Amino acid sequence: MFENLCQKMFGRSLWVYHANSGGCNGCDIEVLNVLTPYYDVERFGIKLVGSPRHADVMLCQGPAMRATAQALRRAYDAMPAPKLVFAIGSCACGGGVWFDSYPVLGPVEKIIPVNYFIPGCPPRPEAIIYGVAVALGLVDKKTAPVAFKELEYPIPRYHPSDLHGQGELVVYEKAEKV
Amino acid sequence: MSILSKLEEAWVCLKAGRVTLPYPAEAKPVAANFRGRPIFDANKCTGCAGCANNCPAREILVFDVCQEIRILKYLGRRCTYCGRCADVCPEKAITMSQEFENGTDKIGDIQQRLELFMSTCQRCGRCFKEPSVLEQLKMKGYRFDDLQNERWIFRSQARLEGEAVVDDIKIEME
Amino acid sequence: MDQVAWIIASGLLNVGLVLLVAPLCQGTLRKITARIQSRQGPPILQPYFDLLKLLGKEDIESGELPGMQRFAVYFSLATVLTVSCLVPMGFAAPMNTSGDAILLIYLLTLCGICTLLAGLAAGSTYSLLGVSREMMSMIALEPLFAIAIIVGAVHVQSFRLSSLLQGSPYAGSGFPWSGLVMLAVMLLSFQAFVQRVPFDISEAETELMEGPLSEYSGPKLALLQYAQMAKLIVYSALFVALFAPWGAGLFFPLAWLLFWAKVFALVLLVTIVAATHARYRIDQAIRYFGALMGAGLVALLLASYGY
Repeated sequence: MFENLCQKMFGRSLWVYHANSGGCNGCDIEVLNVLTPYYDVERFGIKLVGSPRHADVMLCQGPAMRATAQALRRAYDAMPAPKLVFAIGSCACGGGVWFDSYPVLGPVEKIIPVNYFIPGCPPRPEAIIYGVAVALGLVDKKTAPVAFKELEYPIPRYHPSDLHGQGELVVYEKAEKV
Repeated sequence: MSILSKLEEAWVCLKAGRVTLPYPAEAKPVAANFRGRPIFDANKCTGCAGCANNCPAREILVFDVCQEIRILKYLGRRCTYCGRCADVCPEKAITMSQEFENGTDKIGDIQQRLELFMSTCQRCGRCFKEPSVLEQLKMKGYRFDDLQNERWIFRSQARLEGEAVVDDIKIEME
Repeated sequence: MDQVAWIIASGLLNVGLVLLVAPLCQGTLRKITARIQSRQGPPILQPYFDLLKLLGKEDIESGELPGMQRFAVYFSLATVLTVSCLVPMGFAAPMNTSGDAILLIYLLTLCGICTLLAGLAAGSTYSLLGVSREMMSMIALEPLFAIAIIVGAVHVQSFRLSSLLQGSPYAGSGFPWSGLVMLAVMLLSFQAFVQRVPFDISEAETELMEGPLSEYSGPKLALLQYAQMAKLIVYSALFVALFAPWGAGLFFPLAWLLFWAKVFALVLLVTIVAATHARYRIDQAIRYFGALMGAGLVALLLASYGY
């Protein structure tokens, strides 16, 4: 029963460790914005800590680079279970625009398992708070995959200015350029 | 650095009250020209793949199933919301919406996939040549034996594979 | 028999109250800091959630000497709770007759040494840096409280805790000059004893990656943080008992409530100072404590001449 209580408290006080593995720092600045009084994320109980051993959540920014891959993995292994990883920004979610560059290994997912993705370049502080709220279960996700399948052959479109009425008939006359 | 100056500081900040936005409870409106997620309008898209060729992150992928069906897929993973696809699209089928609330636990949630019929000339069954390069871009893929047009077209090398890297909608191919 | 029962009951009451109220004080501290920074802060019960969550996490034993780490963690909480049994919290302290002022000074210093033990047992670079800074500031700092207690003892002419803390050495004899000097010295250095800004040099988050605590995770971290929160209450209680004991003679519930109100007022003072100051560097802090130590020695001199 005590264990249940402790597990329920996990969502109420998340301690965050911030790891930038080679990004441009744009997302860093947005994460720091989130900790300022205007967007104050401490009201959810989230605190920034300096050591991965104290943290529950790792915020990753920047793509996985060849130079920092090992450091990132070690920081992830140093976190005590249960832990979450958030990938913030389009570099951490998929490699960003640098995906085929020489030091970039790819998205952060290639090195550590990621639980939540917050895309954007950089994501607004509200977008980061929204992602955190989705993780805490406070709001529902707003994204879902969209697929469109054309079922029948498209008919040619008649522009209204080319349609002329002649009595009861409607005649389509278009001046063709040859 | 006296005590009084510190107390004055504390008083000034207290007077400002609470400036915190009650964010998830109340939404905050964004600026008018804010670029959020791109939305693909399938009714206007002609399948020219101009967006795929111009995306800096190569995030829009094109797959020709047969001569008449083309699949255009936008994976949201690496998109930086730069807006080039919307600028290039000749039919204005792509709009940069104002949605930024894209946090999710499966990155496959941000995909948009369009499956389109490509039409050909109704008389001869081929595509007719257009003078401008942009119009010729439209012809990419309509007939793949039209070798003379190859040199106008810069093809994106990004292709969809059968096995996808992320959770994916499987493409039904007969 | 009655005596023993009274000792056990009041001891349990003291310890239980300190354990219960410590996270609440920390919570108010964080909330008021947030309001001073013009933002909505965490809920007041937040430290309870933090401690419960930390108890549910995995315990990674890293560091040089895991056995010593465990010992240091349990020891730190145990020392703080023992001091709470020696301090009168609205009624006579439970262990009044079991020790004297020297024991009190010893136990207070032991609280500080536990942090050093914790950092040394962990053995990583940041821990050792934090330990060295904590050692430097402890050498300059702990004597200040010792001098306050000794000056009180000189006034009351005895080292017994019952006359020292219960009868209030300073206010009892009408606030002599040495008393005023010691009051000023203690007010100016109180922040350092409870390890808050501007003097929380060893646990500086941004500079030292949490210093001596940086290798602890899960339940051990919970106990260390609990010890730190409890230190705030115990030191405030000592301060109130020495310098502001008015109303201690009233009958039971009233004196007790008055005591806790005074402790809360002191916590508020600590919060406001902590929210409006920046952290001192280690050399600035040591120079500051050196000046205060000079003033303390002057007070001791005055006290020995009867002023």
